[in-house]
This record gives sequence, C-alpha cells and structure tokens, in this order.
Amino acid sequence: MTSAPASVRHVAESAPPVRTRPDARSVPHWRNVVWLIPALAVLAVFVYWPLLQNLVFSFLKWNIYSGAQTFVGGQNYMELATDPIFRKALLNNVWYAAISIVFQVFGALLLAAIIESVKSERLRKAFRSIYFIPSAISLTVAGLLFYFIYQPQTGMLDTFLTNLGLGQYAQAWLGHENTAIFAIVAMSQWQGFGYSVLLFSVALQRIPLELYEAAAIDGIGPIRRFLSISMPLVREMTSLMMIVTISGAFQVFNEVMVMTSGGPNNSSQVLGTWLYHAGFITNDFGYAAAIGVAIFVITLILAALQLWVSHRKRVEW
Amino acid sequence: MRKTKMISVSAAVAAAALLLTGCTSSSNSAVSADVAGKPDYSGSISILTAFAGKPMDPYFQNLIAAYKAEHPGVSINLSQETDDNAVKDKEKVLIASQSLPDIYFSYAGNWGQNFAENGLAADLSSAIAPSTSWGQTFGAGALNAFKYDGKYYGVPLYNDAKFMGYNKAIFQKLGLAVPSSFDALISDCSAIKAAGYTPIAFGNKDGWPGLHYLQQLFAYNVPRATIDADLVPKTATWTDPGYITAMKQFTELVTKCTGDGSNSNGVTYTTAQQQQQSGKAAMYYQELIEFDSVNTDGSQLNKDGLGIFPLPAPANAAGDAKTLEAAPEGYMINSKSKNAALALDFMKFATSTKNASVLSSPPYGQPSAVIGAVTTSTSSAAVAAGSDAVNKAPSTLVWLDTASVPSVGDAWVSASEGLVSGDLTPDAALKAVQAASEKAK
Repeated sequence: MTSAPASVRHVAESAPPVRTRPDARSVPHWRNVVWLIPALAVLAVFVYWPLLQNLVFSFLKWNIYSGAQTFVGGQNYMELATDPIFRKALLNNVWYAAISIVFQVFGALLLAAIIESVKSERLRKAFRSIYFIPSAISLTVAGLLFYFIYQPQTGMLDTFLTNLGLGQYAQAWLGHENTAIFAIVAMSQWQGFGYSVLLFSVALQRIPLELYEAAAIDGIGPIRRFLSISMPLVREMTSLMMIVTISGAFQVFNEVMVMTSGGPNNSSQVLGTWLYHAGFITNDFGYAAAIGVAIFVITLILAALQLWVSHRKRVEW
Repeated sequence: MRKTKMISVSAAVAAAALLLTGCTSSSNSAVSADVAGKPDYSGSISILTAFAGKPMDPYFQNLIAAYKAEHPGVSINLSQETDDNAVKDKEKVLIASQSLPDIYFSYAGNWGQNFAENGLAADLSSAIAPSTSWGQTFGAGALNAFKYDGKYYGVPLYNDAKFMGYNKAIFQKLGLAVPSSFDALISDCSAIKAAGYTPIAFGNKDGWPGLHYLQQLFAYNVPRATIDADLVPKTATWTDPGYITAMKQFTELVTKCTGDGSNSNGVTYTTAQQQQQSGKAAMYYQELIEFDSVNTDGSQLNKDGLGIFPLPAPANAAGDAKTLEAAPEGYMINSKSKNAALALDFMKFATSTKNASVLSSPPYGQPSAVIGAVTTSTSSAAVAAGSDAVNKAPSTLVWLDTASVPSVGDAWVSASEGLVSGDLTPDAALKAVQAASEKAK
C-alpha cells in the first residue's frame, strides 16, 4: 500500500467538497410527491371537483327557484342529441374553428414568414406591432367596436360598400341569420391574428439561417424555402397553435354575447352561449350542465388528438 | 373485458350521481319572514335594485341617505344592476347560491310568480293588501300584478306601459293626426317616409322590443281568455288564428314603417331611441319609464314636443281594443330575511308620497304606483299623460317575456327576431312557440 504524494494529498485536503446531485433513486418517492400536493389540491378544488359536480348536475332537473333537484338519468343527454339549436351551435363552433385555422394558423404563419423576410429590422418590428395591436384590445371592446362597424346604414362597413358602388351588399351583418356568425368570426380573426403572427415570428426566428442560405445557394426560391424549411421546422408551433385555436373556437363566448347574444333566432349560438342560454335564460341548469360536459368532451378529444398527431410528426434539428 | 369495464365505469358514475343528489328533491322551505314585527333600527338590510346607470342610480342612494338620517343605527348594503338581463342574471345567481338580499327587484307576471311560489318572497298581505292602510295608497291594478294564489308578495314601485311616442312638430308639419286605427298608422308611415323622416324608429337587437309590439297586437287580435290560458303551459295551445294575424300585422309594420326594416335586428334599442331624440324619427314605440330619459332638455324632440298614444288597434279585431300592455315593476322581501320588518319599513319609506313624487319627477321619470304621486306639477306632461292612461285602462296585459314561462318567452324572442329578418314565417314562428310550450308542460 503506497500513500499518495504530498502535493496530491494537499490538493485533496484543501479542495472544497464536491457537491454531487443525489441519485434520484436514493430519494424516497413520497418526498417528491409532497411538493406536488399544494398544486394538486388547488387543481382538485377549483378544477376537478367542479368538473365532477357539473357531471352530476347533468343528470338532474334543477329548479333553482325551489332548489328542487331531481335525478333524471340521461334525459338531458337525450335532449341534447335531439336539440336542433345544439347542433346549430356545434356547427357554428366548427365553422369558427375551421375559419380560425385558415386565418390564425396558416394565414398567420404565412404573414409571419413574409414579415421575417423583410430586411429592415425596424420595419419588421413595426409590422409585428401593427398586427399585434388588435390582440391587446379586450374581446368585449372589440365586439362593441365591430358592432358599430356592422351597423346597417350608418356602420363603417356598409358606408364603405355604398361608397364603392356595392350598396346592394350593404346589410345588417349581425341582424341576419345567414351572416351573423360569420360577421362575429371575422371580428375574431381580426382580433386574434396578430397574436398568432407574433408567436410564429418567434418560431421562425429560431430556425438557423444557414438552412435558408444553403437552400438559396442551391437555387431554391422563397416559396419552396417556406414550404420545405419554414413549415416543417415550425411544426411544433403550428400544432400548438392548432390546439389553442381549436380549443378556443369551442370555448368562444364573449364576442358572441356582446355582438348578438346568439341571435337572431339563435342563428349565431355557439356551445358556450347556448349553455348560458339554457342556464340563465330558460332556467334549465341540468341541461346547461349537459352542454358543459359535451364541450369538455369535445375539447378533450380534440386536444388529445392534436397532441398525438404532433408527437408523431415531431421534427428536430 | 373492456365492455365490462365500461359498464362498471358507467354504473359508478350513475351511482355517484345518485349519492350526490340523494336521489330526492330538496326545496327551499317556505320560511315566513316576520314582516309584522317591530323594525330593529340597529339592524342591517341588503337591497338589489334595477336602477344602475344614469339617471337612475342616485335615486336609491339618496333614499338610503334620507332613511339613515332618520335611523342612524341602520346599516344598508345597496347593490344596483341595470334593468332586464343584468338584474335577471344576478338574481338567478343569488337564488342558486341562496344569498338573495333582504329586498330585491321583481317584474310582475311569471318572474315574480317564481319567487312567490317557491318560498323566496315573503307574504306581505298583512301589510299591503288593498284593505290595509298602506295598501290603500297604491292603485289596485299595481297591487294585483304581484298577487299570486290570493296573496300579495310585491311592493309596486312604479307603473310601466308601452306607448307610441310621436314628434308633435313632424306630425303638425305633415298635417297628420294621431292615427285612429292600425291601418291608418301604416298609411301615415308612407307620408312620413316620403317627407324624409323615419316613420318609426325600431331596434330589435335584443329581441324583446319586437315582443312588445307582438303582445299588444295579441291583446287586440286574440280573446283575453285565450291569451291567459296560453300563458300557462298546462292549458296552453297557442292555436288561435289571431296570433298569426298579429304577427302578419307586425311584419307589415316593420316593413312599411321602420327605417331599417328587415335589418332592424342589427340595431340596438338605444340607437332607435336616439333617432327619435334627434328628431330624425317621427315615432318610437317606447316604455312609459323612458319618456324623461328620451325627452331630455335641449334635445330636438324636446323642442318639437313629445306626444303619446297607444298602438292603434286594427279594425274589427277579435280581441280587446282597450287592453293596454302594461306592468308595474316592484320589490319583494326575502322570506328568509332576518330583518324583514326593517326591510318592510324601508319600503314604506320608499313609497311615501314625498319619495314617490321624487321618483315620478325628472330626471327619474318613473311614474310611481302610489296614488297621487304623479301629477302635471310633479311629472313631465308625457309621464303624467301615460300614467293617467294606465290608471284608466280597463285591462292591462303584462310583457310577453315576463308573463310566459322562460322557455316560451324565449321562443317568442326568437320568433320576434325571425319575423323581423324575414327568415321566419308567422306559421313557423307559432309552431316553434307551440313546441316550446309543449315541452314546458
């Protein structure tokens, strides 16, 4: 047995103790779980318990005036299946989602790519700000603003159409069954578009410039570069935006309430406003709870589907 | 295996539902608040009004200040919401959370009936029935509007009714007299339109302005007994041809008399008010309680002069041409109030002749239900005339949306919107109402 040289011994004795990360396997499992308990408790009380309660309410007929609650089994769900306005509301949500995907996902990605291709940094910043400003306005305010824009005769849109010689198209955009929901969706695109553009801009900025430079050297044009480099490399952001946009489209409420309250003749009802309507207008809180469950199931399925698809097609570089 | 698991999960959910609900119904026990006791002037009460916003919100604030000056030990918590949806939503949330205030706003008709029948409102018969000294200060019609199952549940604060308000200067300029029939009204619209004015300002964004026309036209075209039966789901059929006739008259009026016609669903009620206020519209079908807020000092309407007349009845209509669409609005006392006697004392104070006169005067212009509070010296000429017409009307009919059960009232709101836009025929509208009424049985 030989001892270490003095110099080595000196170094070993004077060096500070090296802090090593404890082996995760050596920490008792329950100690990790303890730190999660507060968050879990908050979630349980404010998210999962109301969800469970809502599920229970959906099996009841509930007279809020008398407080009487009667178990009616699946009657509210049977009613849901045969309710034409529920189907109309669902269809409106689908329209909302489809149009939002076109504008707020693919349209925003395209615009973000155009903005990011501008040479001047100052101009890029200016464009991002210009497109983002509507997103800084609350939905309620934007709804009221567009309500005035859509006013028949005196509204800005109809005045604009009339001045262009297109007066025959001027109408009460929010007052007719075939235009009300699309007028609301249009406002929503205006309001949410800039936010999506900003997120896509950030995602595009993360793509290494070398890829574009190499493609340019190979003679690949800007459209092909967008399709073959930008789009695949922002796929995760695109997937995230799809989830957010679709989930948002199925939870839409404020803009519809402010602009039409679901009218005229329930033509612009969406699931959220039809839930409110069932509960607060017709006093059918059990049925409203059933609509709530339907919204939850739809958004859960869509989110799970989106996550699954995006996970399968993940691109790394 | 998976199927068995699914069945087990479904059974567990159903069992949980049964356990959580107890499989039985619970109800608000009808506790009778002690309204006849001696008020505790060191107690506290809470009030929910429908007077939020200008010019109404100072009324209750001033009232409370005056009451507290007389009873310094009293504590009053005031909460105010705007009329219609805001106050309705607030009350439903308060009911569900069992936290209704001691004094709360109520419409007459089915709205108030829900409070009365479900033990949420105190029976005030011993204090306010027509035979009592306080009851004798109110008009009988106003008191009866809150009478359910032979008992009096509400304190009527002010009367409301629907009238066609017209611009006297425009009528005079065009040589028009107050139309004597519905056909004459339609005929006048052409002359007014030709002169460059909007004949009738109309904004139906919320659906209920159209209902006000419909209910008055129903009163004219459908026998009263039929209407009364149709407002109760158990006896309702909604098959009288008068309803179709009334809806056709309504669509004719929208097409020939309003400025925006089928676009009127895109116009708010307040926008229509402004058209009348600025002198651009010759007429506007409005509530009595709106007269003073539209006919304001300095407005063109004020310069031109505001006149009123009931919506003219069609000739030879099958209903009652003398019925006026009208309903008081009032306040109820929570049946579970711990200070019900104090709450009642406050409402007596609110309906004293002095305070009733203040309520009936500009800028509030809410014609009090208290006899003698509305005179030409205390109220504007239009409010006084409207109040007089309400008092003289041989019969009145409550608003369609508050007279019906909510689902039927809502079906009528949708019908009103569909009729205005032209997307719904009167037959289709009535079928939708029949379906809603059938479901409500």
